[in-house]
Amino acid sequence: MARLQLHDLQLARGGQTVLEHLDGRFQDGAITALIGANGAGKSTLISAIMGMLPPVAGRVECGVSRERCAWLPQQLALDLTFPMSVEELIMTGTWPSHGAFKGYCAAHYRRGREIMARLGISHLAHRQLGELSGGQRQRALIGRTLMQEAELLLLDEPFANVDGETVEVLMEVLRDMAAAGTTILVVLHDMEQLSRLADDVLLLAGGHGRWVGPEALLDYHTGQPARAPRLPIDFSDIPHAGTA
Amino acid sequence: MLALLDAWLLAPFDYGFMGRAAVAGLALSLAAPPLGVFLMLRGMSLIGDAMSHAILPGIALGFLFAGFSLPIMSLGGILSGLVVAVLAGSVSQMTGHREDSAMASFFLISLAAGVMLVSLGGSSVDLTHVLFGSILAVDTTALLLIASIATLIVLSLAGIFRALVVECLDPLFLRGQGVRGGLVHGVFLGLVVLNLTAGFQTLGTLMAVGLMMLPATTARFWSQRLEGLIVIAIAIALIANLGGLLLSYHFSLPSGPAIILLAGLAYIVSALCGRHHSLIARHRRRAAPLNAPQPH
Repeated sequence: MARLQLHDLQLARGGQTVLEHLDGRFQDGAITALIGANGAGKSTLISAIMGMLPPVAGRVECGVSRERCAWLPQQLALDLTFPMSVEELIMTGTWPSHGAFKGYCAAHYRRGREIMARLGISHLAHRQLGELSGGQRQRALIGRTLMQEAELLLLDEPFANVDGETVEVLMEVLRDMAAAGTTILVVLHDMEQLSRLADDVLLLAGGHGRWVGPEALLDYHTGQPARAPRLPIDFSDIPHAGTA
Repeated sequence: MLALLDAWLLAPFDYGFMGRAAVAGLALSLAAPPLGVFLMLRGMSLIGDAMSHAILPGIALGFLFAGFSLPIMSLGGILSGLVVAVLAGSVSQMTGHREDSAMASFFLISLAAGVMLVSLGGSSVDLTHVLFGSILAVDTTALLLIASIATLIVLSLAGIFRALVVECLDPLFLRGQGVRGGLVHGVFLGLVVLNLTAGFQTLGTLMAVGLMMLPATTARFWSQRLEGLIVIAIAIALIANLGGLLLSYHFSLPSGPAIILLAGLAYIVSALCGRHHSLIARHRRRAAPLNAPQPH
């Protein structure tokens, strides 16, 4: 039984239907890539899964408690002028277990330090968020979701404006999180990243979604990831595409 | 030398009114600056100013009904401040206009209404008192009220502290955790109103906001950490309060403006030679070599 399922979902923005008849289940402990052209409804679907956009019809069935859902949107609402260090940001990830009042104990600080070491940002622990590069900030934010022990992680283009080394570290961490049981949904544009990361692909185009395996996006002449996907994607271009 | 110091710094507080004013100042200095720090960090530095006008009609109404009774005037101030905050929020939600434009409109209406009410019911001396405060009027009842409100503010702020920090930094994260950010924001604005009503007795409605904002904006030049900002802001408020009272005593100056001007002096000095972002710090930073350690 998958924790996250879509049932004949119809979503609209500003009175205009963006997606309809969307069905499917996101495998637990798997990374599902969400792909499609700009405006295909990727962010709309994520908003609906987070419960911030009520569906027009159908429903999202989410068996994960709200506190264990983590979402890193493309446009962060993060105030980078706020005086907060990397360590403090990661510690805010304890909210599901600690809420607004409970104090942190040594074990939690230790866990925070382990997470920073895992992400290669131990040396930035006391650095202010406003002083970080895009890649460092992304590592810190993923650190917060690790602290949160997220069971469902939604990432909107997590590798945009991020250096290559960070992409490698984050991919490894995301793979580990999935192996530990986290359901991960990630919006991607880079087909090479997709083929390395995704177990499953939900392709959005023309107001519909279709589930395909990542191998469907390989260039079937060369067997390599199609570096420049043809967007908007025409389903007929994908030889192995089929519904889940 | 010691006798001189005693005569200058300690002896004035032997007078009952000076002692009470000092204690009131101490209470306000603990409660107001942390609120100012959060207002500043949220980019709402001028909201305090707006709210200080918003409490005026309530204070005036309290004055009209019960004369110079601090509890009644404070209650009126709290009510009118909250009404204006809620009205501004509702109007901005209903019309889609930004909250600051609704707030600006309401605080101007409040100011005019407040001045009108005070003038109708009293003399220009009363108006001056409400607008600019007077330490002479801090009696034991007033002191107890100020201390109680300050205690309530400090405890409430401690209660909502983590939620407020997370809401300032990343409102979306807090919303994802099922916490209504609007509620945290509302409680915080309520504390700002409470603080201003506590401060109007000594500093007046217009200048109470100075004790909230000036120490906070000054602290920004000395620390880049939240705890540092709060501690430094409280220290500056304490020094400005006691220093201002002493200056007003020795040189027969009005106490409210003396306190706020002293805090203002701290701001100007810090803007020139503070540790972070001041003119001198920026100059040093430009001149520092590439691999020099950065101040934290």
